[in-house]
Amino acid sequence: MKKILEGVWIILVILTIFAFMLGHLKFMPTYLVAILLISTFIKGQLVIDYFMDLKKVKLKYRLIPTIWLTAVISLIAILL
Amino acid sequence: MLKNNTLKEEYPPGDFAIWIIIYVELITFGLLFIGYVVSRRENVQLFNDSQLMVSQTSGFINTLILITSSYFVVKAVHGIKNMTKESSKESSIAASKWLLSAIVFGVAFLIIKLSEFSHIFGQGITLSTNKFFMFYIFLTVFHFMHVALGTIILFNIYKKTKMQGYSGDDCGGMETGASYWHMVDLLWIVLFPLVYIIK
Repeated sequence: MKKILEGVWIILVILTIFAFMLGHLKFMPTYLVAILLISTFIKGQLVIDYFMDLKKVKLKYRLIPTIWLTAVISLIAILL
Repeated sequence: MLKNNTLKEEYPPGDFAIWIIIYVELITFGLLFIGYVVSRRENVQLFNDSQLMVSQTSGFINTLILITSSYFVVKAVHGIKNMTKESSKESSIAASKWLLSAIVFGVAFLIIKLSEFSHIFGQGITLSTNKFFMFYIFLTVFHFMHVALGTIILFNIYKKTKMQGYSGDDCGGMETGASYWHMVDLLWIVLFPLVYIIK
């Protein structure tokens, strides 16, 4: 479990650095926005599963924040 | 599949009431995020031009700070949950150190955010400057208040942990505060790319 937590933290840091690097682009093509949103979803899901520790809990409790995250990221992608 | 399901815990960590608050907070911020995107759709150029005035670097540093702070809180909770009667003192001291580190990072987030606000407000920007800044100020100030509250909660948990007030079987209060702190992190994880990065 210890190694998993460290791994999750490293992935979160790497994806944050990736997002920051994208922020330096003057123009962000659609496919990069899509990649950024997918990486944001992954980050959010990692926090839900391993930091909030909902991976160990009955599915209905884990699903609520996951559905929220999916809905918010999808709506951002559609409406942007 | 059945076996896997029976191994799952019945309730999420901490007091169940905090999860009602977390779900309500997620919905509230979610609506604000969608409001931002809908408004941006009608004023893309205005949003892109205004976004240049906010510091991506401080948003980036604050993301790293919150992620790391959340990690520290998880380490503290795991330390307490896995402790034995024999290791009670050592585990509580170690957990309190993790929590203190998380608090220091929380305070660092607040200081960086205050300096960002001071820069923005110093330029005469207010809620009524334009739609981007209305959302930017509203979202980030609202989130700032959550970080401030979360830091106070962590400080109270830290004090109790230092006094060996939690045990592996009785750490619901700690888990409740930790869940709130992770929610603050989760919200920022969506807010950061949306307001600071996407253009």
